[in-house]
Amino acid sequence: MAISRRQFLTRTGIATAGMMFGPSLFRTPWLRQAMASTIGDRYLIVLFLDGGNDGLNTVIPVGGALRAAYEAARNTGPGGIRIVDPLVPTTAFSDVTGDQLGFHPGFASLRDLYDQGMVAVVQGCGYPQYSLSHDVSRSIWRQGAPLSAPGTGWVGRYLAAAGYASSDIPAVNIGSEVAGEYAQTATSVLVFDQLSDFGFPYDDSYYDPGQMPLDPLDDTPFKDAAFNALYAAAAANGNPFMQYLGSTGASTLLATNSYPQLHQDYLDDRASFSAMYPKTSTARGLREIAKVIYGVARGVPNVSARLFELSNGGYDTHSNQGAEDPADQQYKLHQEVGDALKVFFADLADIALGAPSGSGKENLASKVSVMIWSEFSRRIQQNDSGTDHGSQGPMFVIGGGVHGGVYGEHPNIDAAALDDDGNTAYKQDHSNGARSTDMRDVYGTIFKHWLGITSASTLASLLPLDSTLGYSGPDYWTAANFDMGFVP
Amino acid sequence: MSDSTPLILPDARHLLRRTGFGASVDAAQALVGDFPTRGAAADHLLDFTPTHFKPGGRYVENLHASWVKYMVKTRLVLQEKLVLFWHDHFATSYDKVGDTGLMGEQNRLLRTFCNGNFRNFVKAINKDPAMMEFLDTVRNDKDEPNENYARELQELFTLGVKDPLGNPNYEQEDIVQIARAFSGWTYDRQGVAFLRHGDHDKGDVIEGWNPPRGPKVMYKSRGDFNNPSGQSFDAGTNYEAEIDNVIDIIFQHRYGPTGSERGTTADYIAQKLITYFAHPSPTQSFVHDVVDGSGFAASFELTPLLKAIFVHDDFYLTAAAPAAGTVKSVKWPIDFVVSTLRTLGMKLRSRYQYVNGGDYAAIRDQLTNMGQTLFEPPSVFGWDWETGWLSSATLLARYDFARDLTSARGGGGTSFRPDRLIDLSLTDPGAIVDAVTTLLGVDDQVGTTERNALINYVTDGAGPGAAVDLGDDTVRDRKLNGLVATVLQSPIYQLH
Repeated sequence: MAISRRQFLTRTGIATAGMMFGPSLFRTPWLRQAMASTIGDRYLIVLFLDGGNDGLNTVIPVGGALRAAYEAARNTGPGGIRIVDPLVPTTAFSDVTGDQLGFHPGFASLRDLYDQGMVAVVQGCGYPQYSLSHDVSRSIWRQGAPLSAPGTGWVGRYLAAAGYASSDIPAVNIGSEVAGEYAQTATSVLVFDQLSDFGFPYDDSYYDPGQMPLDPLDDTPFKDAAFNALYAAAAANGNPFMQYLGSTGASTLLATNSYPQLHQDYLDDRASFSAMYPKTSTARGLREIAKVIYGVARGVPNVSARLFELSNGGYDTHSNQGAEDPADQQYKLHQEVGDALKVFFADLADIALGAPSGSGKENLASKVSVMIWSEFSRRIQQNDSGTDHGSQGPMFVIGGGVHGGVYGEHPNIDAAALDDDGNTAYKQDHSNGARSTDMRDVYGTIFKHWLGITSASTLASLLPLDSTLGYSGPDYWTAANFDMGFVP
Repeated sequence: MSDSTPLILPDARHLLRRTGFGASVDAAQALVGDFPTRGAAADHLLDFTPTHFKPGGRYVENLHASWVKYMVKTRLVLQEKLVLFWHDHFATSYDKVGDTGLMGEQNRLLRTFCNGNFRNFVKAINKDPAMMEFLDTVRNDKDEPNENYARELQELFTLGVKDPLGNPNYEQEDIVQIARAFSGWTYDRQGVAFLRHGDHDKGDVIEGWNPPRGPKVMYKSRGDFNNPSGQSFDAGTNYEAEIDNVIDIIFQHRYGPTGSERGTTADYIAQKLITYFAHPSPTQSFVHDVVDGSGFAASFELTPLLKAIFVHDDFYLTAAAPAAGTVKSVKWPIDFVVSTLRTLGMKLRSRYQYVNGGDYAAIRDQLTNMGQTLFEPPSVFGWDWETGWLSSATLLARYDFARDLTSARGGGGTSFRPDRLIDLSLTDPGAIVDAVTTLLGVDDQVGTTERNALINYVTDGAGPGAAVDLGDDTVRDRKLNGLVATVLQSPIYQLH
């Protein structure tokens, strides 16, 4: 069977975290400090397309054998989802086979960014023993560990290894919970939905704004002092669990003092760009991130986040997926993400244009990379009006510092090459007509070339090969490629 | 582990915290007075017949509110703690089911079986309409089998993917076979499950299945059943009996070396209940002790199993204050909310159950921000416990609730009235702090550092020597309310 279920119900991640991943390596203080600084003045944003984006209707074959296989499986007419007229960039956009590719028409903005050389399309990304369960597959992608359950996220292991202090806030997640990629218990990941209503809930019911000087019973400083002392006591507890609670609370209070101002600063300085963001959740989320980045670049005290996460939902298109009409489901999703990214990078580039040299924000668009993933792609054979869960799909890495182009190979969607479930099989050699890119090659390339982790042993510790668990052969990830080339 | 171990006061408080919603000194003293041993106290707590309460309402907001309201007022707190556990275990979401009636009925089913026989419980869950919707039993027929329920039945509800020694408990073939038993099941308008015979796999050759599925057997690959041709769940023409047979076979599943096999489901469920009630990472001997001591592997009776957990020494390992390095558990958001309301003797307002102060937010919205929307667990895997409950966003939601609650004003028991709970003639800040931590049931968890921090708060930094005049309305409102909120927002209070 292509599908196997894995035990990943690690309720108490602490018990297992790090066991597989060589914690001793990270006990060396100088190494940890060295790692924390390697990110330099760069930023990473992880954008999750929740529900399983149909990659075959995102990066679409335009010609050759791939197109023939595509047209054999995807219909036109009522319920048909075939993209008859993919958007072809003006710059080269083809698979290694030479077959021309195109973007979904809803992704016009992404095509524009591609034409600016800012988009790396990494084709056919997956992992061994793929799962068709949303939850299981999501968890695997987030942990970056298909065959084990380390209980930590792939970015989380970097955060833990990089040795940030518990008072640091190196990462921000937009939403309500720490995303699985960021899971660890060493440092703080700040989570909020929007900065405008992010703040500590002081009881202001006794404050009388008409009375000056301020109400002498405004006890905010004493509240803060007590709160900090209480959480510091927890952070100082020898139990890692208490440390996590203590540092999360302490950094939350710290952030409620330093972060809300970022919102007003951004609105004051960048009103025209703020207004350009579409009224979609992806655009709103990216704008929140822009506010934080703008704050970090200006050196606002206690604002130092460089790693971010946000997600967009609605990709589980079992039915009514639609094709080329702007009202269609997947069209709207692609349009939302593409348009949001285009404005976001225009915003960052404009910050760069007005910035004095040496200010640290002189070229923000080239300092920010966005990595886009989804828990799986969808089956090549369409159903009545949509698509069921599939296997490998494309990832995107976008930014001014990215080498735009096409990386990896398009999955072999020829009917004869599909597995029993009708999905493309994960193969590390070409035995199935194409080589699958392992998601860990993408993560590792980002670690090595964007976050600046060059030590081979550190990389191997963050992303251990399947062979360390005893798996071998072309069905497994036994040789890393952390030099995919999409970042210099 | 012993029934007859004397129940000491700190342990009594721990027992009440974990089996209910908060534990005051008074309640713990009363328990110790009436039931001087662990065994007697556990028997007392477990001596209940489940009520017939069923949350209801047209909208999911009403459904949610009615359950919260019930938890705030009920005397049977352990019952509700168990229902919450089973709601997580048999996680089913309104998001997919889309019917408040079915969700309410399932909630009653969870209550009916919460302390009963676990095997019968699973057999009843098989036929629960909300579950049949959620895991697609109603979309499973012989021509288009759906394996969703057959998979989760083993992976999440009974066996676990792997046994404690790391070996797989079942294979994909077993899922395929079990799905056959469930093919054709659906439910009628009264919510009663029945089998559509025409859609049931009767063993006939079905088009598109090549080769045919053969005899209705499971666990062919498991030699420990001593039958290489597998365990048959075939019931002849009594097709309705197949799903019960499947459960009976699953409950006979064993793991471990020959001669010392153990019941897989018994250990799996005991481990999870221990993790919930007692210790986030229990030792193997803890699990074995309670299973063996209660006869759970043969009887599957939950009450004796729970008693064995509540009298075990390891249950009380987590009782002391965390300053001693003790492992603690994070209170579930619903526990945080309900125990606070009960401790302060407060109610929520209207059929939407909102806090009468601060942002006046409905409790469902507040709980959602804390990461726990009842009736809508994030997936079939339930909620992520422990550190999974903790992020800056979810902590801020807890802080919000504390602020809102301590600024609540209004009638009908919805206002915060510290004057009724605290002796206002107290002037010594240390005594005031002690009174508040006692009121909130965490006086035994607060260390010197925490106590000093709270004293500095209540004296605006003047320290333990300063007097605080709670007779002054402004001081009282500002500092006493603020002190209660600060304790509710403290790390200690998030744990139990």
